Amino acid sequence: MIVNKSEFVIGRIVLVVVLILTVIPLVNMLSAALQPADTNPTGLTFPTDPQWVNFVTAFNTGNVWRLMGSSLFIVIFVVPVSLLFATLAGYALGNLRIRGGRFLFIFLILGLTIPFEALIIPLYYEIQSMGILNTQWAVIFPLIGLYMPFSVVWMRAHFIGVPQELSEAARVDGATTLQEFRRIQLPLARPALSALAILLFLWTWNQFLLPVVLISDPLNRTVAGALTFFQGQYYSSIPLLNAGALIIIVPTILVFVIFQRQFIAALLQGAVKG
Amino acid sequence: MAFSRPRARFGRGPVAVVAIAAVAALGLAGCAPGGSSPTATNSVEVSTELTTDPVVLTIADETGFPLTDDLAAEFTKQYPNVTFNITRDTFANLTANAPKLLASDTPPDLIRLPTIGDTVKDGLLANLDPWFDAYGWDKWSEAQLAPLRMGDDGVRGHGSLYQLGLGYSITGIYMNTKLADQLGIKNTPTTLAELEEDFAIAKAGGVLPMMEGDKDGVVNFVVQAAINQYADPKELMDWILNVEGATYDTPGNVKGAELIKKWADAGYFPSDINSIDYATFVSRFQGGEGLFTFNGNWAAADTQAKMGDDVAFFLVPPVEEGGNHVAMGAANSFSVAAGSKHLNEIVFFLNWIHTNDKARQIVTDVTGAAPGGDPSQTQPKVAPGSLIENALAMSAQIAAENGQVDFMANATAGIYAGAIIPESQLLVTGQISGQDFVTAVQKFYADELAG
Amino acid sequence: MTTSIAPRRAAARSAARRGTLLGWLFAVPALVAYCAFVIYPLALGIQYSFYKWNGVGPSEWVGFANYLRVFTDATLLGSIGNAFVLIGFFTVIPVAAGLVLATLIRSLKPGPFSSLSQTILFLPQIIPLAAAGIAWSWMYAQTGAVNQVLSAIGLGFLARPWLGDFQTALPAVGLIGSWVLTGLCTVLFLTGIGKIDQSLYEAVRLDGASWWREFVTITIPGLRQEIAVLVTITVIAALSSFDIIYTTTLGGPGRATLVPGISIYRIGFTQSEVGLASAFGIVLMALVLACVLPIQRLARASDR
Repeated sequence: MIVNKSEFVIGRIVLVVVLILTVIPLVNMLSAALQPADTNPTGLTFPTDPQWVNFVTAFNTGNVWRLMGSSLFIVIFVVPVSLLFATLAGYALGNLRIRGGRFLFIFLILGLTIPFEALIIPLYYEIQSMGILNTQWAVIFPLIGLYMPFSVVWMRAHFIGVPQELSEAARVDGATTLQEFRRIQLPLARPALSALAILLFLWTWNQFLLPVVLISDPLNRTVAGALTFFQGQYYSSIPLLNAGALIIIVPTILVFVIFQRQFIAALLQGAVKG
Repeated sequence: MAFSRPRARFGRGPVAVVAIAAVAALGLAGCAPGGSSPTATNSVEVSTELTTDPVVLTIADETGFPLTDDLAAEFTKQYPNVTFNITRDTFANLTANAPKLLASDTPPDLIRLPTIGDTVKDGLLANLDPWFDAYGWDKWSEAQLAPLRMGDDGVRGHGSLYQLGLGYSITGIYMNTKLADQLGIKNTPTTLAELEEDFAIAKAGGVLPMMEGDKDGVVNFVVQAAINQYADPKELMDWILNVEGATYDTPGNVKGAELIKKWADAGYFPSDINSIDYATFVSRFQGGEGLFTFNGNWAAADTQAKMGDDVAFFLVPPVEEGGNHVAMGAANSFSVAAGSKHLNEIVFFLNWIHTNDKARQIVTDVTGAAPGGDPSQTQPKVAPGSLIENALAMSAQIAAENGQVDFMANATAGIYAGAIIPESQLLVTGQISGQDFVTAVQKFYADELAG
Repeated sequence: MTTSIAPRRAAARSAARRGTLLGWLFAVPALVAYCAFVIYPLALGIQYSFYKWNGVGPSEWVGFANYLRVFTDATLLGSIGNAFVLIGFFTVIPVAAGLVLATLIRSLKPGPFSSLSQTILFLPQIIPLAAAGIAWSWMYAQTGAVNQVLSAIGLGFLARPWLGDFQTALPAVGLIGSWVLTGLCTVLFLTGIGKIDQSLYEAVRLDGASWWREFVTITIPGLRQEIAVLVTITVIAALSSFDIIYTTTLGGPGRATLVPGISIYRIGFTQSEVGLASAFGIVLMALVLACVLPIQRLARASDR
C-alpha cells in the first residue's frame, strides 16, 4: 500500500493518542484502587505503595463471592436456553424456510428496537404476578425473551449462509430433519453459536436495569446491578469503590481477551449479513 | 444493552404486525390493572409475649447505616431463638423499591420507610394501634409519634400509628472551632445575622464559609434551616403532612429561599457543590475544609472521632436573639409490613429497642440520636462534654420549645428526587431566585398529590 | 443423469414440506419466550398508559391524559431533548472517529500493534456501562484526572467539577458514551474496509489523490452499509441511555442530564405513577422507531 510519509506519522500519533485516551479511565481506576483505603486520592497518581489488600477488602466486604455466584446462576440459565431456542428458531427460519417464516421474522425484528426502559414498568408487574419477584428468575425469564429477537436473527443469518445443497444431500441420503440438524447443521453452526454465547454472556453479566428493578436484594443481582450497592457500601472510600468495580470488570475482560478472535470475526459476519 | 444489535430492516409491515399482536395480547390482558380495595386487617392475635419458636425476622434497610445490624445482634444474644436477615440497598433504590417490596408475596417484616405515601391507603403497612395499647406506648413522647401516624384522610400527624423510629434525629450546625479561632470568631452564633457575619468573615479570610454538597440533595439541610427560621412551623408541617389546602408558596418560605440565593451569590457554598455528595462533604468537613456544615446528630460520633475537640455542634440560631429555635428532626422511621408473618415478634423487637437499656444505648452510641420511648426512663450514658451529649441536649431543647419540624423531603414520595434536589441545585448556584424555587416545588407537590 | 435429478428434487421438496410443521415446532419456544416477555409487557404497557394507577391500589381510566402530560410537561420534554443531544455524542462522534481510526489501523501492517489496537479500542465495550459510569465520575471529579491533566498543561482555569456543572454535565456524560462506542464502530468499519476492492485504493493513489480524497471518494461510500448499521445501534443507545446516567449524575445538576430512561424509572417507581411512566415508555419506543425507520429507508435507497 502506498502511504505518504507525513500522513503515516500523523496517523500513528492520532492512533496512539486515542489508544491512551481509551485506557486512561481504566488505568485511573487501578491507580485509585491501589491507594490506601482511608485516603481520598487525587487524580492519576502513581501508587508508590500499592495496596493490593484493597482488592481483598473489597472482595470480602462487597460479598463478591455471593455476587459472582448469583451472576453465574443467572448466566447459566439465560445463555444455554437462549442459544437452544434461538438455534431451533434460526434453523426453522433460515434453513427450513417454513411457510409464514417471513411474517415471523418481521415480527421478531421489531423487538430489536424496543428499548428495555420502555418495557420495564409493565415487566415489573408481570413478574410480580408470576410470583418470582426478588428472585434470580425475575431476571432470567425476561432476559431470555428480550434476547430472543437478536439471537434468532443472528442464528437465522448463519443458517441462511449454509448452502441448501448440504441439506438436500442429507435428506436424499435418508436423514430425517432432526438427524440432519444434529449431525450436519449443529457442527457447522459452532462459530456462530460460540460468538452468540459470548455476546449473551457479556450482556447478561453487564445487565443493570433489570436486576436493579426486579431484584430488591443487591446480593441476588448480577454483579453489574450490584454496583449501586458497592456505591453505597464503599461510599466513604474511593479506593475500595474502584477496587470493587475492577473486580467486577475482570471476568468480562478475561472472557473477551480469550475469545477475542472468534468473537470479533463472528460479530462482523453476523452484523454484515443480518 | 451495551452492545450492538444486528442490522434491522423494516418495511411498513412490521409496525402493523406488532400493533395487531399487541392489541390481541391486550384483549388477553383483560380488565383494568390493580387491586380493588385495601384489605388491611391485622389477622393475628396481638400478644406481647415473645414466642420461643425459632423465628427469622427480615429487615430491609439502607446502606451506610449499620444500626439495625448492631440491634439485631444484641437481640439475638438476649433471645437466641430469634435471628435476623437484613438486606441493604442505597437510600434511592430502597425508597423506589419500598412499595413494591411491601406489596410482594414475601415482604420484609420491617422496612426503612422515610415517607408513608400511598402505602397506608393501599393497605401495605401494619396498623400498630393494637400494640400501642397492649404495650402502653401512651407513656412515650407523643410529639415524636405524631408524624408517624396517618388518618383515614391520608394526612399524617393524626390517626393510627404506622411507623416507629429507630432513634429520633435532630439537625444543627457543626463548626470547626480551630478555623473559628484562626478567624477570631469566639462563640457560636446566636442569631441568623451573626451566622451570616461569620460567613462573611470566613469568606474574607479565605476560608470556605460552609462545606455543603448537593449532588444528592443534602444541601437542603441548609435550605430548610433558612426556611424554618422565617416560616410558620405549623404551616410548614401541614404542608409536609399533606393537609388539604396547605401550600409551600408562603412569604416565610420565599424569604428563607431568597436568603439561600443571597448566600449562593455571595459565594458561601463550595464552587463544586453539585458534584459533592453526602459522604464527600462530611469527610471534607472533617478533613478541615469549611468553617460550618449543616448536618444531623447521626454524624456526631463520627465527627467527634475525626476532629476531636475542634468541633462544636449547635442548633440553627433564630432570627431574633433569644427567639425560639426551629430544627428539622424526624424519626429514623421504620414500618412493619401488613403482610409480615411475624407481626407480634417484629413489634416485640421494636418495643424492645425503645425500652431495653442495652438497645437504647446502642441507638445513641451508633446514631447519636435520642432513643425515644418513655421520657422518664434512664437515658443512655454519654461521655460528658461530647458532641453526642450536646446533641441529646439539643433534642431536649427543641422538644421544650416545640420547634421540631419534619424534613421537607418527606412531604411526598417523589418530591425529593423530582423537585427538591434539581431545584435546589439551581438555587445554590444562584441560577434561580428563591421565589422560583418555592413555586417549582409547590407545582411538583400539587401535581404529585393530584397524581 | 438428468432422469435421476428430478426424483431427487421431488423427494427433497416433500421433505421440506414435512419440515414446515417441524419447523414451526422448532420456532415455538423462541416465539413463546418473545411473546411472553416482549409482546405481552408491551401490551400491558399500552394498557397501563391509559390508566391512573399507583401500582397497588385501584386504577382509574383516564384516556389520553397521561400522553397529554408527557407532551406538555417541561421536565419530560426536557429529558427527551437531552436524549437527542446525546445522539451527537453516542452517534456522531463514535461513527466519525471510528471511520478515521479504521482507516488509520488499516494503514498499519498486520501485526501485534494492529491487533493490540483493536483489543484496546474494544475494551470499553466489554465492561458494564455502570462500571464505566463509576470510572468516569472519578475522572471528572474536582480532584480527578481530567482537571489534573488540564492543570498540568496550563489550562487549569478550565478545571471544574465536570459532572456538577450545568454547562458541562451533559457533554461530559455524552463523552462517556463516545468512549464506549468508538471501539465498536472502529472494529466494524475495519472489516468493512477489508471488503472494499483494494484496486480502487491503488487507482486513486496513483492519480495522486490525497488521504482525504481517498477517504471521501472510496472509504465512505464503501462503508454505507456499516454506517447505517452503526447509526441505528448508537441512536438506540443514545435515546435509551440509563446505566451511565444512573451511576454518574442521576439526571442532575438540576435536570441537565435527565433522560427518558431515568424519568421513567423515577415516575414509575419512586413516584408510583405507573400510568404516566408507561405512557412515557410507549412514547420513547415510538421515538426510537421514528428515528430508526428513516435511517433504514435511507440505507436501502442508497443500496439501489
